Amino acid sequence: MLRANAITRRFGRTLALDAVDFEALPGEIHALVGENGAGKTTLMNVLAGSLAADHGEAVLDGRRLQSGSPRAALAAGIAAVHQSPMLFERMTWEENLALGGFDTGAGALDLDAVAARARSLAAKLGFEMPPAGATVENRSVAERVRLEVLRALSFNPRVLILDEPTSVLAPSELAAFLDLLRSLRADGRIVVMITHKLAEAIAVADRITVLRRGRVVARTTPADTSEAQLAGLMIGEIVTQPAASAAPPPSGAPVLLIENLTLDDRTGRRILDRLSFRVAAGEIVGIAGVDGNGQTELVEVLAGVRRPSSGKVTLHGGSSGAMAVIPQNRDLDGLILDMRLWENLILARPLREQVTSHGWLNVSRAIDLCRQLIDRFRIRAPGPETLAGALSGGNRQRLEVARAIASRPRVIVAHNICRGLDLAATADVHRAILDFASAPSGGAAVLISSDLDELLAICGRLLIISRGKIRETSPGQRDPERLGLLMAGARD
Amino acid sequence: MLSSIAKPFAALALAAALISIVLAALGASPIGVFAALGEGAFGSWYACADTIVKSTPLVFTGLAVSLAFSGALWNIGADGQLTIGAIAAGAIGPHLGNFPHAIAIAIILAAGALGGAVWGAVAGWLRARRDVNEVISTIMLNFVAVQALSWVVHGPLMEPSRAYPTSSPIARAAQLEFYFAPSRINLGMILAVALAAACYLLLFRTGAGFELRAMGRNRRAATFFAIRIPALTLWVMALSGALAGLGGAVQISAISHRLYEKLSPGWGFEAIAVALVARLNPLGIIPAAILFGALDNGSQAMQRTQGVSPELVQVIQGLVILIILAFDTPAWSGLRENIFGAPHDAAAAAPLAEMPDA
Repeated sequence: MLRANAITRRFGRTLALDAVDFEALPGEIHALVGENGAGKTTLMNVLAGSLAADHGEAVLDGRRLQSGSPRAALAAGIAAVHQSPMLFERMTWEENLALGGFDTGAGALDLDAVAARARSLAAKLGFEMPPAGATVENRSVAERVRLEVLRALSFNPRVLILDEPTSVLAPSELAAFLDLLRSLRADGRIVVMITHKLAEAIAVADRITVLRRGRVVARTTPADTSEAQLAGLMIGEIVTQPAASAAPPPSGAPVLLIENLTLDDRTGRRILDRLSFRVAAGEIVGIAGVDGNGQTELVEVLAGVRRPSSGKVTLHGGSSGAMAVIPQNRDLDGLILDMRLWENLILARPLREQVTSHGWLNVSRAIDLCRQLIDRFRIRAPGPETLAGALSGGNRQRLEVARAIASRPRVIVAHNICRGLDLAATADVHRAILDFASAPSGGAAVLISSDLDELLAICGRLLIISRGKIRETSPGQRDPERLGLLMAGARD
Repeated sequence: MLSSIAKPFAALALAAALISIVLAALGASPIGVFAALGEGAFGSWYACADTIVKSTPLVFTGLAVSLAFSGALWNIGADGQLTIGAIAAGAIGPHLGNFPHAIAIAIILAAGALGGAVWGAVAGWLRARRDVNEVISTIMLNFVAVQALSWVVHGPLMEPSRAYPTSSPIARAAQLEFYFAPSRINLGMILAVALAAACYLLLFRTGAGFELRAMGRNRRAATFFAIRIPALTLWVMALSGALAGLGGAVQISAISHRLYEKLSPGWGFEAIAVALVARLNPLGIIPAAILFGALDNGSQAMQRTQGVSPELVQVIQGLVILIILAFDTPAWSGLRENIFGAPHDAAAAAPLAEMPDA
């Protein structure tokens, strides 16, 4: 049995965990749910030893765990899978796994043995490993999650703690992943899953603990609760999903026109395949797809980071500032964590131009602008001088959305914009996008996501991306199961 | 922030404590040695003036390094850039006799800046267009510059009598005068201070400087926001080289008046230490350079009166740098976090901790 007794942890003035008691039993999947900033990840880090608690203790099977020592936690049998991938991008998957517990050789590194053990464990869990010698940087997000889970399992842990493991998975991959968790439970392990996806918590968990603002507000089981009740517990109020703009968009001239966009990578593999679509003013277009089907590259081409092999992107009504891109990896691509909020804001060229004249930066104007946006977009931050890294995930995303909208683009392209966000932050972000599209100036938005529910909730039109090809869905097509099949590559 | 000012002094004190142990073990009196060191560096008007003069090249090269490092461009080649700048200045200097003083000075300094800029731009171009790591290219270009200097003073620029491996002296018109002779205080330090202020404004008060810092902190994000990294890389390396080259020209114009081998005792390398101690802040470069200049200057008096080898000063310098870098690790960040409530999950590590990706 894994127990946390009255764990308290403070970051500066923020009380992240306030005397939290937590308990998980062998042979159970325990879901830990809560908003961003509720303290879920902090609790996991304390249990896994990567953070020391200020007060309180963690106990596994009657033995007290040494506080703040990942090594001791691992030796005691606690393995953790973190939300942001902790993989070495430029190494092969075998080398990444060799850092786990597969490599038992004394001294000499036997990558073949590591790979063989990994494959046999993977087969038992029902998935395949990438081809031999593939580097991590070219693998899809779903594959990376599986690699991390596998690396954690290589230690043969008693307790496996997973932080938002499903947030990057497509619907088609989800069922398999939940089965994987169930098979771990069947081994008698303790599985702790941190999530904000309440449907999953209810589907897979045996028990559920709800955190809000560093405190446990409820302990329950799926049979005794509902999604709506859990949502209420998590945020203290019921947030209604914004209504879909179901009406067909004004069929005006397209704002964004993409024609026959093709991209081959260095090895000649086709990433984007004669991709064409148009977006009109006032329209929110969703592009649904399983991760790794060309979405990241599409975003990079649109952002100008990559040059397409052929094809054309036409943006009506504007210069380079007419499109604002919100990349999916907000901590690496979208923000500079050790710069201040106002500095992050003026990363966007239109905003930077707004606060520079003749090359000189007007710092106080940038700070004023930042303060206005903090208020308008309800970013929870002490002020414009705060470092971006000090914000929680949801507030980082609010900052990115605020920056995109404040740049007054004609089009916003956003990739997995609500990944890892809680209900309140998701609703805020969606509302901001809907407001942007329905404004008199008529902005257009392209949302790229693997979360079908999200797209169905706010997109007027839905496209499917699969293996670098894009297909339009029929306007009435709203059946998640059917769409899921399309995402997996089935013909309409 | 107070800690960033107090830190170098705390490091200095700790280094002094460690060195005291070494001195005591050698049978010297630590207090006597440090007194001699201080006396030699600041003990008289003349000593202070000489400390300033010895610090001047370090301000130029320190600024060069801090500018490049701010953009995560690891320019290890300030020494080579300074050398090429000096060669340019030493080559043109003897021919400026017919110009008015101010014009001659402007020409010789511009020549030095241009020479350094070209040398820096070579590494910048290689990085921007051919993706050659600038650490490697600047180190290699240092070797080339040193050999180029050796060649010109034995060959094309050798003085007419061909007795010594030096160049002809530069024209009087091109020499920076000493303001308070016999001290060697000259325009160089004033220029260096002005440039430090200019670099500060460039980095923190202009759009271009912001783009440079953004590139230094997160290159990938910078590409996403349409910051033109290749162009910026080229310009920053050229500017960095120009600063170092200007330092070389000032040295020729004010102090040495001619070229000779081993002109630089390693100003371009010491500059890395200066820039790190200053935490890449251009305004911090001045006190940091004076600190190192004072150690250099005081070491001679130390040797004279205490019989301690001047190399010991290099040991002190090394210890100061190591200790400052060591102070930069989680212990300090943690303290700061508790006081100011700083980020807990940001990779807020100092840029110093990041190594160039090979």
